[in-house]
Amino acid sequence: MKLQLKRMRPSAITYGVVAGLLAVGVQVFLGVRPPPAYGICMACHSRDVINWIVNHLVGTRWEIAPVSVTLPLLTTVGLFIGASVAARRNGEYRRLSLGRRGRNLVYGILVMNAAILAIGCPTRLLLLGAYGEVQGLVGIAGLIAGIVAGTLLLKKGVVD
Amino acid sequence: MLPALVTLLMGLVLGYLAQRSRICFIGGLRDFILVRDTELVKGAITFFLTAWLAFSAANALGLTDLRAPALQSKDAPASVPAAVAPAATGLNAIFPELTSRLASTKASLWVMTILAGIGLGLFSTLANGCPTRQHVLAAQGLRDARFYLVGFYLGVVVSYLVTKPLLAFYMYTKGIW
Repeated sequence: MKLQLKRMRPSAITYGVVAGLLAVGVQVFLGVRPPPAYGICMACHSRDVINWIVNHLVGTRWEIAPVSVTLPLLTTVGLFIGASVAARRNGEYRRLSLGRRGRNLVYGILVMNAAILAIGCPTRLLLLGAYGEVQGLVGIAGLIAGIVAGTLLLKKGVVD
Repeated sequence: MLPALVTLLMGLVLGYLAQRSRICFIGGLRDFILVRDTELVKGAITFFLTAWLAFSAANALGLTDLRAPALQSKDAPASVPAAVAPAATGLNAIFPELTSRLASTKASLWVMTILAGIGLGLFSTLANGCPTRQHVLAAQGLRDARFYLVGFYLGVVVSYLVTKPLLAFYMYTKGIW
């Protein structure tokens, strides 16, 4: 069993199926709602964690999803730990630096700001679209346009 | 208490799988455009299709109601009772309530969602991966991804202190809102 888990190299399709079933499953069976279509979101769940902490420390009333009021959703924390375990078990943990620290810090801020306005990270936009929410479908259209634009910029060497 | 625990455990599973499969929903389309590699984009499409089928199945079994709006809107129309709701045809057969949601979505919301979506896609592509992938890379020891995460979490504070007030002020002065 241990050996099998170590050798496991699931395809992206496996991830898609498992993540899709989990995202809907936790909402339907395990009470991760309201709002609906909130099963997986890297941006919104991070926002809930940060806003929950800030609200409790400073007494602000920043937006938190109803499901996160008592304790925030910890998807991002779990995902980080899970990925750490996977990397260490399979000998893929490497301390590495590509010299893009400052730039990535700025991109992180920009991505989070865009995600909060678009009501979710790419994963949740797909989830909202699958739920039939118009804003999710519109967001996916914008997302695709943005990726195409970004890829062309990379291809032409405007940014690296 | 329970939802936090459930999502923590779900995150562990997703993190393990994401690290092994190198999944990235942004990187999928990027790889397809750059080198015609369809591996990752298949993951994104599969996720969408699986979630759609699962939502539809849950709806058909009465476990969830897809007619409930997923997003709170200031002037959301009251949900139509099932008894008087028109039969689902056309687009509504795929996504219940889609046409009424289309009709009730304000133009300003369309523009903002499109622009925010473009920004999300553009900056994620330039940062070399979607938030999920950046979490995985950071967990694998990539320092740059850790700086991305610092910015990502800092971005929440920036958003609520700077971006949202500025946007609200702009929309107020333009009379959009």
